[in-house]
Amino acid sequence: MMDSINKRTSPIKTTSQTKWKRFKYPDSYISYCLWISALVFIAFSIEYLNIPLSRLLGMMGRMGDILANRYYPPDIEYIMDIDYAKSILETIQMAYLGALFGLVATVPLGWFSSFNMTPSRRYVYPVARLITMSCRAVHEMIWAILFVSILGFGMFSGVLALTFFCAGFAGKLLADEIEAIDMNPVEAIRASGANLFQVMIYAVFPQIRVAFTGIAIYTWDVAFRAATVVGFFGAGGMGWYLKRNVLQIETERVTSILLSILVLVLISEILSALARDRVMRMK
Amino acid sequence: MKSDQLLTNTAINVDDILVKRNRDKVSQSIFFMVMMALVLWSVNVTIIKDTDWERMGSLGEVLASAGRFFGIDFSLIPNLFEPAIETFMISCLGTLLGVIICVPAIWFGALNITPFKPITYPIGRFMMTMSRSIHEIVWALFFVAVLGLGALPGIFAIAVRSVGFIAKMSAEAIEDIELGPLDAIRATGANRFQVLLFAILPQVLPQVIGVILFEWEINIRRSAILGLVGAGGLGLVFFRQMNTYNYHGVTTVILAILGIIIIGEIVSHFTRKRMI
Repeated sequence: MMDSINKRTSPIKTTSQTKWKRFKYPDSYISYCLWISALVFIAFSIEYLNIPLSRLLGMMGRMGDILANRYYPPDIEYIMDIDYAKSILETIQMAYLGALFGLVATVPLGWFSSFNMTPSRRYVYPVARLITMSCRAVHEMIWAILFVSILGFGMFSGVLALTFFCAGFAGKLLADEIEAIDMNPVEAIRASGANLFQVMIYAVFPQIRVAFTGIAIYTWDVAFRAATVVGFFGAGGMGWYLKRNVLQIETERVTSILLSILVLVLISEILSALARDRVMRMK
Repeated sequence: MKSDQLLTNTAINVDDILVKRNRDKVSQSIFFMVMMALVLWSVNVTIIKDTDWERMGSLGEVLASAGRFFGIDFSLIPNLFEPAIETFMISCLGTLLGVIICVPAIWFGALNITPFKPITYPIGRFMMTMSRSIHEIVWALFFVAVLGLGALPGIFAIAVRSVGFIAKMSAEAIEDIELGPLDAIRATGANRFQVLLFAILPQVLPQVIGVILFEWEINIRRSAILGLVGAGGLGLVFFRQMNTYNYHGVTTVILAILGIIIIGEIVSHFTRKRMI
């Protein structure tokens, strides 16, 4: 007995220290291989894309030159114009309507494409998922180009482009949110003999109400940013001013337009932060 | 006597609650009315007044012009592989460069690790807002002016644009970390950099990798349109098909973009599963 205790408390004799490694034998090689293949991929893509690395050397200097000489004194007078103010208002309206219509479309899309609440997992779920994904996958500019070519120039095309974009964007967030709900209230309401809509209204909606408001605010934020450039291809709003001045190489005016976009986005961000704060407090 | 007072007290409280509830109801209905008025006004201005209804024609004509897009141009498919690979690579390199540019933005912009709060914190936040508020097309135009045509300005545009989201989410993750490991590492005599590397990074790495993968998915669809402003890839093919009125070709390019994005989503799904 005594002996064994002595043995246990005696200082460790083995002086050869084991070198600790995070990865054991096969894993270590796998991680090396992954790093090497990542490096090879980077090198290969630089080669494949014909990237002139020599241009990177003087980039900062050139960027400073261009900014200082061509873009520097922003032409503020150009944007202090009633027409420009009108286009800002149009942009805001476009973003508002696009986000609103998108959110309206989101409600059924999010419902159908959430795995736990979808009416039919075999038929409705994949279709709704595909619709949400393709709305999100196609960039808002491509939507704008498509709608301009179908409906002609004007803000209606912009509103529709933003609607599709927002539906895809918010649909995914809403579906994720619905998939994370507590299923017990759903079971309880279902056990009382409620149909699909009643389950949605009385069991699911109270749980996602706050999250949905948050998603709505976020969607508005994103839609406004997209709306500032959707006009680039003729869908109304400030984008048209931007494109015209970029094409005419009126760089000083471009600077002032970009500054105005920055200020507007900052304002909208502050407003949405305030709104989000309020929603959080309601929770 | 006492119970009577209590009763009146509660009665007054109930009245208060009812008044407050009524006031809430009134303010809510005013809010909804204002929202509805805004909707009607915007619909009137943007949709009814600003649309060229004569050019649009009847619903049948609109459907007919939308119907031109239905169909696939099979002869275009062999020419799509190279731009698709280019788009994919631009998104990968752009995300990578964005992650590199992110590091100072995260360092400055996270409230608990920023080196000198009054100066560096606003710089970090400004970097994030700047990158998020300017659209990728505008960034691409700027970088095309600086770097010339080709894939390089596209990579830079994507990198700069993705800084904002990655940095914001990562900075928020860093602000939420546990302080225990931080103190422990500091107690061993580690300097600022070592604390960053051994106490903060391991805690936020899974979240940050998730954010980077999410941003990479978004970057694939962004890189697919940068060709519109001269940065190569699928966007260039799209624009060419659109300009030659080859509507079936346009649909084919969109389907190709969809295909790449599905591949990207599958890859990021499995990476996320492995990492977390």
